[in-house]
Amino acid sequence: MEDKSKLIGFTCAYTPLALIDAAGFVPYRILPMGDWPDQAGQILHENLCPHIKRILDRAMQDDIPDLSGIVFMNSCDAMRRLSDAWQKVRPNDNTVLIDLPISKDDRSVSFFADELNRFAERLSQWGGDDIRPEGVENSIGRYNELAIHLNELKKRVNLGTLKDGSTRLQAIYNKAVTEPIENVLELIKQIAGEPDVIADNALPIYIFGNVLPDPEVFTLFESCGARIVGEDLCTGSRMINVIEIENNDKSLDGFKGLARATLSRPACARTIDPSNPGKMIHDVVEKAKASNARGVIGHIIKFCDPYLARLPSVREALKKEGLSFLLLEGDCTMRSIGQHKTRIEAFIEMLR
Amino acid sequence: MMLQYFENLESGINNAIKENPESASARKRYTIEIARLGKRLYSDTDRKAWAGALVPFDLLNTMGVTSCYAEFMASVLVSTDIGMELLENAEQTGYASDTCGYHRAIIGAAHKCLMPIPEFLISTTSPCTGGQAVLENLARLFKRDLFVIHIPQDESDQSVNFLADQIEDMVEFVANHTGSPLDKNKQCKAIENTNKAREVMSDVYNLAKQVPSPANGRDLSNFGIVMPLFFGTEAAVEIAQFYRDEFKSRINANNSGVPGESLRLMWLQNRIQFKNTLVKMLESEYKAAIVIDELNDITWDPIDPNDPYVGLARRSISSPLHGTAKRRIKHIIELAEAYRIDGAINPCHWGCRQGTGARGLIDSSMKEIGVPVLNLEVDCVDRRNFAEGQLITRIEAFMEMIESHPSPWKK
Ligand code: SF4
Ligand code: SF4
Repeated sequence: MEDKSKLIGFTCAYTPLALIDAAGFVPYRILPMGDWPDQAGQILHENLCPHIKRILDRAMQDDIPDLSGIVFMNSCDAMRRLSDAWQKVRPNDNTVLIDLPISKDDRSVSFFADELNRFAERLSQWGGDDIRPEGVENSIGRYNELAIHLNELKKRVNLGTLKDGSTRLQAIYNKAVTEPIENVLELIKQIAGEPDVIADNALPIYIFGNVLPDPEVFTLFESCGARIVGEDLCTGSRMINVIEIENNDKSLDGFKGLARATLSRPACARTIDPSNPGKMIHDVVEKAKASNARGVIGHIIKFCDPYLARLPSVREALKKEGLSFLLLEGDCTMRSIGQHKTRIEAFIEMLR
Repeated sequence: MMLQYFENLESGINNAIKENPESASARKRYTIEIARLGKRLYSDTDRKAWAGALVPFDLLNTMGVTSCYAEFMASVLVSTDIGMELLENAEQTGYASDTCGYHRAIIGAAHKCLMPIPEFLISTTSPCTGGQAVLENLARLFKRDLFVIHIPQDESDQSVNFLADQIEDMVEFVANHTGSPLDKNKQCKAIENTNKAREVMSDVYNLAKQVPSPANGRDLSNFGIVMPLFFGTEAAVEIAQFYRDEFKSRINANNSGVPGESLRLMWLQNRIQFKNTLVKMLESEYKAAIVIDELNDITWDPIDPNDPYVGLARRSISSPLHGTAKRRIKHIIELAEAYRIDGAINPCHWGCRQGTGARGLIDSSMKEIGVPVLNLEVDCVDRRNFAEGQLITRIEAFMEMIESHPSPWKK
């Protein structure tokens, strides 16, 4: 495939970007941004998460670039309904819904590998290159390189030595999932050459949750006196991670390794480890502690069942560890977070 | 307390039937079976499991495990005096009031020690993400082992086999906990019972299709979603037979479920689980019968008693509670046609993303076949915000509209 600008839309952090890349496409995350009139609730229901509603609003307003196809991961009820509604709103788009197992046992890995195979076939029907194991490996390598660079930037944000800190990092995350990988790598390499700034005495905060793509939100956190020293958001560091293919999987067909690696990524609340119920809760506490944060902010958008169901236990577990917790409920917009400014300031003040 | 509740329920119905044998009805027999299940769940003797709604209960029944999907117990609990207290309790512990009321009731009950502690839990990814999360929460709270079943989206062989294999693993998981493997003879017998129940339920549904229908708005409420709890047992066959006999005799006697039936309605997904007057009002004011609930249908083929896993997998995948909206809508349209309905009521249960999320799509597809849909805004479990007066006004307007609307089935 010649045209490298061809885009494949996606909406979930579990999407195997390397597969899209291996087919010669550029993954384009349809982020829930833009100030469009709320219309999606009419087709779906008001009680679906704003992540989904905003994405559908963008589709209804034609605020989406030309896409060769769109992949929806079957991650939760809301995502499934988005896939249904998309077909109504944009019936001429190529779409596919890929099943995403809830856990990562061997059976799930094999099943997911078959699903990735189905996705690869679709990509080729949509005009992509034939996907070969070497191609997938190469793309995994490219994304791993990107992940390593992003991690380096993240470290500087945590130390407070990157100019414009988490705001800038979020803008780069957004770029990394909407533009060709080369553009982003080039930008990151430029930033790597920039001298460190002197860290201020902002208060170290760990943030977790689902969707928070607007860089301005991070400016707001910083203006309230917080420094993000650890973050686990599905529009942040959870989008691009280093993927390691286990040796056992290498000899098997190309997708098994990718399937296992994808299912083994840092989990969001929709993924379950049956041998350790509530692992997500434990993970929040451990990551917050490891980041040396003085407090934890949870940002959860309304109506997100996977997170809402775990919040009471997260709160309790953080309390047990003596970590102060501030819960912000939002709708993906700067407007909704802006309303919490006083609470964020008070939270930071209390922790000083 | 709940043990007492179920004991009273069973003995109350039995006494009423003893005093007046004429009052014995299929619905009463069905309710007795529910009471017995409740008693077993709250007894100290039975092995118990909480499960997801699409678990093959036939196998659990065969393996001597008294099991139930947690939402079923929620629907019982919210119809008792303490129901709203349970919801409040869940909210006080941080459970958002925007989540499904069934799940809030379960969590509230668990905190109040009103959910029996199971030996293990088996969750299913369908019907909903919230249900999956609640079983994980219960497993953590009760410190019990959790088995997770991923129900794939489509009916491809690959998906069916994936699910069939997981069901087989589930049997092993259960056997490891009970210490007794699945007895193949009992399994055969159980699946034969399931197939018999399926056949008789299919007869019941076919009888309900008649115009006028022998069913009224209460006869089969929650039936299609509760019956699977009894699959594999003779009780399931008997309950279905009671219904079949009752409907046949009503038809033979020219008695329709709603005397003078003039409008036929479909109810989508959930019934309202607490006492309310809406169904009664539909029947008395408009002679409107709810002749079909979306979940009252046989969507699967008979299952091979000797090799049941593939058949059981197909059955779970075929559930109207599962899969894409496209498939759900196709099913609703088929029911609309088969039951010749004049309109449909969708309660749009607040908190149910999987169900209400398809609201607009159902609405527009039904419009295309000429069947109007009334979308209500109800929490089917939480009566604290139940604005009955407003709902009645909306229903009245809807009924007047469909009374003057030509039926799509009368050419
Ligand atoms: S996980 Fe939560 S935020 Fe993400 S799509 Fe599902 S409901 Fe929405
Ligand atoms: S009503 Fe919806 S969210 Fe609630 S238990 Fe049923 S399927 Fe799940």
